[in-house]
Amino acid sequence: MASKEFLDDFSLEGKSALVVGAENVTGRAAAIALAEAGAKLMIASQEPGTDSRLREVAKAVQAAGEKPEIQVQNSAVRADLSATADLAAKRMGRLDILVNALDDPWFGPAEAADDTAFERVIESNLKRVWTSCQEGGRVMLRQGGGVIVNITSVLADRGVPNASLYCAAKAGVLNLTRALALEWARKGIRVNALEAGWIEEAASPVNADEDFKKTLLKYLPSNRLVKPEELGGALLYLVSPAAGFVTGEAIVVDGGLMCRV
Amino acid sequence: MILDALKLDDRVAIITGAGRGLGRAMAIKFAQAGADIVAASRTLAQLEETAAEVRKTGRKCAIVQTDVTDSIQVNAMAAAAVREFGRIDILVNNAGGGDDSLGKPIEQITDAEWRRGLDTNLSSQFYAARAVIPQMVKQNRGKIINVASGYGLRGGKHNYMYACSKGGVLQLTRSLALTYALNNIQTNCIVPGIFPHNEEMMRFFKGGKFIPIGRPGDDSELGPLAVFLASDASNHINGEFIAIDGGGLAGGVTPTGAIPNLPAESR
Repeated sequence: MASKEFLDDFSLEGKSALVVGAENVTGRAAAIALAEAGAKLMIASQEPGTDSRLREVAKAVQAAGEKPEIQVQNSAVRADLSATADLAAKRMGRLDILVNALDDPWFGPAEAADDTAFERVIESNLKRVWTSCQEGGRVMLRQGGGVIVNITSVLADRGVPNASLYCAAKAGVLNLTRALALEWARKGIRVNALEAGWIEEAASPVNADEDFKKTLLKYLPSNRLVKPEELGGALLYLVSPAAGFVTGEAIVVDGGLMCRV
Repeated sequence: MILDALKLDDRVAIITGAGRGLGRAMAIKFAQAGADIVAASRTLAQLEETAAEVRKTGRKCAIVQTDVTDSIQVNAMAAAAVREFGRIDILVNNAGGGDDSLGKPIEQITDAEWRRGLDTNLSSQFYAARAVIPQMVKQNRGKIINVASGYGLRGGKHNYMYACSKGGVLQLTRSLALTYALNNIQTNCIVPGIFPHNEEMMRFFKGGKFIPIGRPGDDSELGPLAVFLASDASNHINGEFIAIDGGGLAGGVTPTGAIPNLPAESR
């Protein structure tokens, strides 16, 4: 039987965590994994009007652990993100773990995209993650440490047609993670990333086109999409005391896709 | 429950280079996580010490004296694991290391030194993967964890055999991952940064002051990462390299501690 020493490596008992973008499938999976490992939790949305989705996530989190604090953000702009990070620390006593699961997919031909598209995609996928890291980081610097995990995509490493802006934003999150990790390495804050492959979710562009889906599934080494809950293990490892020497790193959860030529 | 997915209860794990250092630390951590261990290395006395530590946790430990550069001995190691425990769930390819030829200028390296370097750090991992794959395919389950190095991704001065082998280990990882994905065998790679095993190494690495996080790694920190990669909590992670290096590979554009400042006029 697995021993107590082993469980102590990964347990989040006594830690408090904030998940921003918890209405997304990746944020939901992150929140459940953190609760299962014993963390106290606040879940915050990235968009207004997401109350019912957040309540559904809260119910799933409660089934896995304690009842979470809920924070619906108006638009995840700086004032919101700052207030949310402060509130998390105030309500839970500390902010040990921040998971940024903000995501706003965009697909379309580059030649047809206007500046508004650029501003929206970069704002919602990159700028808000930057702001959330900054605001959460300030709280963590004050309290002398913490862990941040940014959830991004394999599109941070590779390109794909019809997703230029999204790829740029996701790559931005990856290298933001590395730079912050180095800047805060001696201040007790670890910053890491998770890169998800093609995720199984209703809203995925994979579901919009049967032929594309068939071709893609055949191409994937595991012949299947990533289930959101499969991000949980890597997330838990990264935020746990066991990963004290891991910073500036990204763990890819894609069933082997990035190995392909 | 996610913590249950991390347990290795009743799994059988072969760990090469298990007589000391990282290998021993991993063997003990795997046993704490519930696995039985097949400990392999060249030195029996060291294996006995590892086995004693493993048995303290209540798990079984078989020891197999193995020179991992000899494929006949590596095949025998896999056969011994099956004979003893009936299965092989996990292989940790940890054996390897630098040798005296590290640091020699290229024109002084002999063919024999080149081949020995590649044998120690690359052929050894290939041999062990080849030896366990048929059993894992039969089980339709397996985890292979290769140990590479930051030198597998970056170069080093006068560092040929070690850097080339560790780079090869990354490629071995990718090809195994792709080939056996549908056999439910996941192959991943740990990329350790600096883990001094003794005072001399600690002095050589200046206490870790060149590592972004400000300290070197401790052998005990490798175990949990290996456990995670050996467990069901990582079942959709395949062909991946995970650096555990205090931020080393995230940077490298300036030396650690050298921080670019704003030009005076824009401050």
